[in-house]
Amino acid sequence: MTKQLWETRPLEIWQRAKELRAQWEHSIEEKDKLVGQGQTYAGDWSACFPAIRVIEDNPVGAKMASDSDEFSRICRLAMESRGWGREICGYHLNCWGAQFLGHQRDGSGFPYRDFVVPFPDVCDQHAKRGQQPMDLSPIPRWQGDYPMYIGPRDAAREEALVDHRVYCLQKELNDIERVFDQKFDDGRYARLIRERSIQHGYMSEVLFLMANVPTPISVKDLYSFYTMGGLTKLAPEVVTDFFRALRDEIKWRADNQIAAVGNERYRWMEVHPPAWHYLRYYRYMEQYGAVCIGSPYTHAGGGAQVEQKPDGTWGSRETVEYPEDTPMLTREDVTRIALTPDARAPYHFKIDEYLRPQSLIEFARFYKCDGALLPIWRGGVGCDMWRKEQARRLKEAGVSVMHYEGSQPGDRTDLDEHGFLDRLDIWMESQGLEKLV
Amino acid sequence: MITAGIDVGLEAIKIVIVKDGEVAGKAQGLSGGAGREQAVGRLWDEALKEAGIGASDVQKVAATGAGKYDVAFADKTVTEPIAGARAARYYLPGATSVVDAGASQTRVVTLREGGEIEEVALNQKCGAGLGSQLRYLARRLEMTLDEISALPPDAAAGFTVNDGCVVFIELDSLELLNEGAAPTQVAGAVNDAIAVRLNMILNDKITPAKDTTVLIGGVAKNAAVVNALKARSGIGFVIPADAEYGCALGCALLAGS
Repeated sequence: MTKQLWETRPLEIWQRAKELRAQWEHSIEEKDKLVGQGQTYAGDWSACFPAIRVIEDNPVGAKMASDSDEFSRICRLAMESRGWGREICGYHLNCWGAQFLGHQRDGSGFPYRDFVVPFPDVCDQHAKRGQQPMDLSPIPRWQGDYPMYIGPRDAAREEALVDHRVYCLQKELNDIERVFDQKFDDGRYARLIRERSIQHGYMSEVLFLMANVPTPISVKDLYSFYTMGGLTKLAPEVVTDFFRALRDEIKWRADNQIAAVGNERYRWMEVHPPAWHYLRYYRYMEQYGAVCIGSPYTHAGGGAQVEQKPDGTWGSRETVEYPEDTPMLTREDVTRIALTPDARAPYHFKIDEYLRPQSLIEFARFYKCDGALLPIWRGGVGCDMWRKEQARRLKEAGVSVMHYEGSQPGDRTDLDEHGFLDRLDIWMESQGLEKLV
Repeated sequence: MITAGIDVGLEAIKIVIVKDGEVAGKAQGLSGGAGREQAVGRLWDEALKEAGIGASDVQKVAATGAGKYDVAFADKTVTEPIAGARAARYYLPGATSVVDAGASQTRVVTLREGGEIEEVALNQKCGAGLGSQLRYLARRLEMTLDEISALPPDAAAGFTVNDGCVVFIELDSLELLNEGAAPTQVAGAVNDAIAVRLNMILNDKITPAKDTTVLIGGVAKNAAVVNALKARSGIGFVIPADAEYGCALGCALLAGS
């Protein structure tokens, strides 16, 4: 047993997080009693309709695979029997399969959608999301769009992209009001977007604090707070308070060198979502004193994007930010403020694969990562033909790389758990590390 | 000091006993499947007998391989690339890389000047290019591994099989046989496919392999595959006579440290 390198202690905010989570689940049950279920992404606006509940396939599908391999296999088989390939995103094979079966794992009916708002993404099945519910019944579909650009700031391009996105969202909102006869609460939307901006600021601070050695929070713990933002739709001020408290605690831990992992001596990163049903590998790595700092996937969502400046220094990635007191008098004002910061988002997991390697290197350098664990998924999110190129570039930059293979984050089928841990052993021992416990 | 290394692989168990830095005894046999622990026991006795010592004379034992946790009496375990890297420096003190081509995994390790590991590249999950594929196809072609090993470099005579998937390799092989190709020609194509796969792993690293690369593992005993790999990679591998014992030897050398 090696002497502990850093002081560590549990996060004090756990209890509060659990309470919020319970509150969130209760509020969903309440809203279930109302009519109208959408299927969309980036749906802050959905909370501003009185009777619309958003169902996002990604978390639902991930949870299905995590809860029951047996039921998710049945769901995927239901999809495959209708001709959908195994390379389709696992989250969606689970959800859509349950839709074809007509029931969920507990026997309750599948929550059929009343409309869909898919938007395109790098794994492409996002655009097909709307197709499945529409195959069953002729429900309305609005196509979200997510244009963004990379490279140096380009004001003209930015304006065109933002105009387009504002147009798409405004059309969705106007149409949904008309088709479902529901009044959109513009005042609530403005309040929500203001709060979201503040929350992103706090979360961004937390994520930047992870550059500290030792890191005050690991990505395994961070994932527990990852979906808290969804609460914004219900009680934005409460969530803002929560993120403020989280920021305060993480900052205190960073200032006082309170580590997430008491024996932190190796920092590693990822690139895409993990195998959600098998998160124990994070704890397994901690036996070597190796802590996961996260990935562009985890950090971009919270707004912690870094880039190398022309003078060689590192800092926050430049995005368009409106002054806090910018008036939000009209629906267009609010949608514009809500959608603009993402217009230049090269750090996000949606970026072009040609440029992803560079963003990984930026991440590794900023967060002082020694190694990177890159999945080779067979389909869905993270199915990336450029994975080996990313590995090559990272290795050239001095970052050790190990791969593991599996089907996709929401599908247990091909993840060899023992083989996975064996690879981690090989990786760590090749880095000169032995288990500390 | 007397130490021992036990490599419990998918196909075979290899044991090496080292006395004062020199090999004093060794033994190998089938891994025994579910009876792996018993197989280790039998081979352990055999190796001790060859070394002319008793079990109590061995001060430290280290185990490696897929079944390393089945060696109940091991003092420590190490992963295969670590063992392979140590063995490479034993065989060739100036070794810069080691390729360990085994039944269930291929590992390519590059070494720094001092012998520390620089980079590890592993095969992907598919069995294509592995020793288990060779054994499987040998059975299908009704040839022995020795017969396949003895094939000349041009045995394939222009025939090719898939190199990405063992199932497809088998299908391709059957198709060639049905079209009238001789088993030796198909076996030549299979050897070439294995070499392609091994070479891919060699190329999956930043530091290129050189002629100071040691080749160990059971596949190293197959001259035809090795010749195909040499031709494809352009590397003149250093292949020890007891190449299949590589990881066991490395383990034995590491056991006392």
